[in-house]
Amino acid sequence: MPGRRVVVTGVGLVTPVGNTVKESWNNIVAGKSGIANIEHFDTSGFNTRFGGAVKDFDISPYLNPKEARKMDVFIQYGIAAGVQAIEDAGLECTEENSGRIGVAIGSGIGGLPMIEHNHNAMNRGGPRRISPFFVPGSIINMISGNLAIQYGFRGPNIAITTACTTGTHNIGYSARTIAYGDADVMLCGGAEMASTPLGLGGFSAARALSTRNEDPAAASRPWDRGRDGFVLSDGAGVLVLEEYEHAKNRGAPIYAELSGFGMSDDAHHMTAPPEDGSGAALSMKNALSDAGIDTSAVDYINAHGTSTQAGDLAESRAIKKVLSEHADAVAVSSTKSMIGHLLGAAGAVEAIFSVLAIRDQIAPPTINLDDPDDGCDLDYVPHTAREMTIDVSLSNSFGFGGTNGSLVFSRLK
Amino acid sequence: MQSPLVITGMGMISPLGCGVKASWERLLAGRSGISPITRFDTADLPIKVAGSVPDIESDPGAGFDPDRVLDAKERRKLELFSLYAMAAAEEALSQADWFPTSDAEREATATIVGSGIGGFPTITQAQTTLTSRGHRRLSPFTVPAFLANLAAGNVSIRYGFRGPLGCPVTACAAGVQAIGDGMRLIRSGEADVALVGGAEACIDPLSLASFHAMKALSPEQDDPTKASRPFDQARNGFVMGEGAGLMVIESLAHAEARGATPLAILSGYGTSSDAHHITAGPEDGAGAAAAIRSALKMAGLSPEAIDHINAHATSTPVGDRAEIASLRNAFGDALPGIPISATKSATGHLLGAAGGVESIFSALSAMHDRLPPTLNLEHVDDDLHDLEFVASSAREHRSQHVLCNGFGFGGVNAALIVSKV
Repeated sequence: MPGRRVVVTGVGLVTPVGNTVKESWNNIVAGKSGIANIEHFDTSGFNTRFGGAVKDFDISPYLNPKEARKMDVFIQYGIAAGVQAIEDAGLECTEENSGRIGVAIGSGIGGLPMIEHNHNAMNRGGPRRISPFFVPGSIINMISGNLAIQYGFRGPNIAITTACTTGTHNIGYSARTIAYGDADVMLCGGAEMASTPLGLGGFSAARALSTRNEDPAAASRPWDRGRDGFVLSDGAGVLVLEEYEHAKNRGAPIYAELSGFGMSDDAHHMTAPPEDGSGAALSMKNALSDAGIDTSAVDYINAHGTSTQAGDLAESRAIKKVLSEHADAVAVSSTKSMIGHLLGAAGAVEAIFSVLAIRDQIAPPTINLDDPDDGCDLDYVPHTAREMTIDVSLSNSFGFGGTNGSLVFSRLK
Repeated sequence: MQSPLVITGMGMISPLGCGVKASWERLLAGRSGISPITRFDTADLPIKVAGSVPDIESDPGAGFDPDRVLDAKERRKLELFSLYAMAAAEEALSQADWFPTSDAEREATATIVGSGIGGFPTITQAQTTLTSRGHRRLSPFTVPAFLANLAAGNVSIRYGFRGPLGCPVTACAAGVQAIGDGMRLIRSGEADVALVGGAEACIDPLSLASFHAMKALSPEQDDPTKASRPFDQARNGFVMGEGAGLMVIESLAHAEARGATPLAILSGYGTSSDAHHITAGPEDGAGAAAAIRSALKMAGLSPEAIDHINAHATSTPVGDRAEIASLRNAFGDALPGIPISATKSATGHLLGAAGGVESIFSALSAMHDRLPPTLNLEHVDDDLHDLEFVASSAREHRSQHVLCNGFGFGGVNAALIVSKV
């Protein structure tokens, strides 16, 4: 990446397989699924009745629960992951550095639970039933806003929303912001909680979701012949990105370098990728060229791999197109097989997994991949995690509207 | 020395009308785009006025005709804010004459269209469907219609733009931040041309009632054109508006090489966070001042060099005061000599589209040396008498450099400086 070097110095996670980085990563490496029947509302009659909900979440270590009640759930998840990342990085905000620390945390959908609640309240009791906290409690940029207020971060503050590429784009934007000198530290990522009646019903109407109600843990099965759609999930991922010298000077722990970022647009269809995966390929190509890394240096790809018919095939084709003969030598896995699709949080959660893969030299598995589909013939690390040398990892995200993003992380040399 | 970034095309759908020319002429003529809401029944609602985009039936001269953008069947798949963005995009791209056909040019074109809310009416209608008729009646287009990034998505699909796509959703700062993002993409070499700005269309019973619940909207209902009155002592909240403002930007070298006419220069951009309160700015205006200062720094300008300010000024009692505090903080003694306009007096507050529309107004001021009026500014706050507001009518004023502000809930600030070529 041109400009100043950018490294990862902190990570925070709330996922369907754990409410901390440690718990989530241990379960991912162990190949455990976090997909189960939805219990937080009555799903009877819905075509899909399961998802990747966050379990036993407690906001109190991160935020006064009284304050938290004014905020929609996705904001609470985002704040929890943000606080974890800040503490992990040992970041202190002072009078001197506060203007040099920014926040870029988005969401693909935003505050559906509060929108549904207030809409129903108005229909029942008129406009007077609407809470004054509804707007600031549900608009998408309020994770960035609230974390800036909580810690006093006065640098750039933004929330980019690009459907399922949201997390990746916020991370890439933040890396550029640091590389170009507009900030020294950026807190970045994504959060989502859209597994509500309207979220589940809306994606179901678009025929995007798996309907494997009889076996939820087996529903997310990227590249498998039996895949039938993605699994709607909730959670958040936040990273602390930092200028390299800044991190070194304060003795911060460095997980990896964020060495490349690329974007592209399919310019094809609202919800479907082009069959040849050309948009996804362009995004990966841009990221690798930004990193100045030869395609043969890529060791591991955390794929977007949502478990949809068209998407999984297009991404496999894109990987082959970009890496050509090296494609066979790369480990490619989809952690969505275990956690489902966190939409606007997916890119951030998976970027963290890509970073931890470098730290621990382990490629996480793709579970449920029993019978690879025709055309899905890469090394998808089926069923069990693999210890291997990982110097360079690449994380992909693709979203509705044809928006693509790719991040390249490198082991610090 | 880097080639400056320039605007080569502009497109607008606003409460004043469709098209940059119609909106600008009506703005200068002192017309108001605020009117009674007729799109749905407001009998049970506390708010009955808004800055709605006029339709072609009521305004044959500059009303919005959806058939000219997309046929009725395709329109069912997307929301009004996407439709406004597509109309503004067509106008901007036509002026810039940027309809690339080669892969390389398409891959080098970015589409960054911010929105504060996205397809809110689709969400509320879908929720009504869900609760009254069940989930099986939901349209398959529900999700792709309401996603905020689908204004950018639909535009990029129509023109085959395959470069970076983005959508800042930073409440009322989204439009200005989208322009800043596009500038960075060109500077970093990720794009040669960017279509940037904002789109919004969330005039809906629930959104009106929600902003009313936080006492943010003007309760004025009898005389709609008087409701938005920035900096006036009688101001009592903002008026919700809708529309889209998009511009085509590229480096001057790129524009010249392809024979495009540069309209204005984007000379500075800055963004910052208040880190103070979710809906109110700090009294000293320090956060917004930091954004203005970094825009001045990028432009290499001293505060005295600014000739005109298109203020964010939404007509809320607290917000307008906070903005003046930030301007005093950033400009010091230079502020009293700089004419200030608040075009939201005529358009209402377009939320995520405000920055796109007002950046275009700022560019037009720099291009034509004309400053738009601030309607309804009859009695300024007592401690603002030293400042120079462009009140009731438009004014001729040599404008080399114009500052445009955009601030949003969450304490997000963005500032853009547009300069004469």
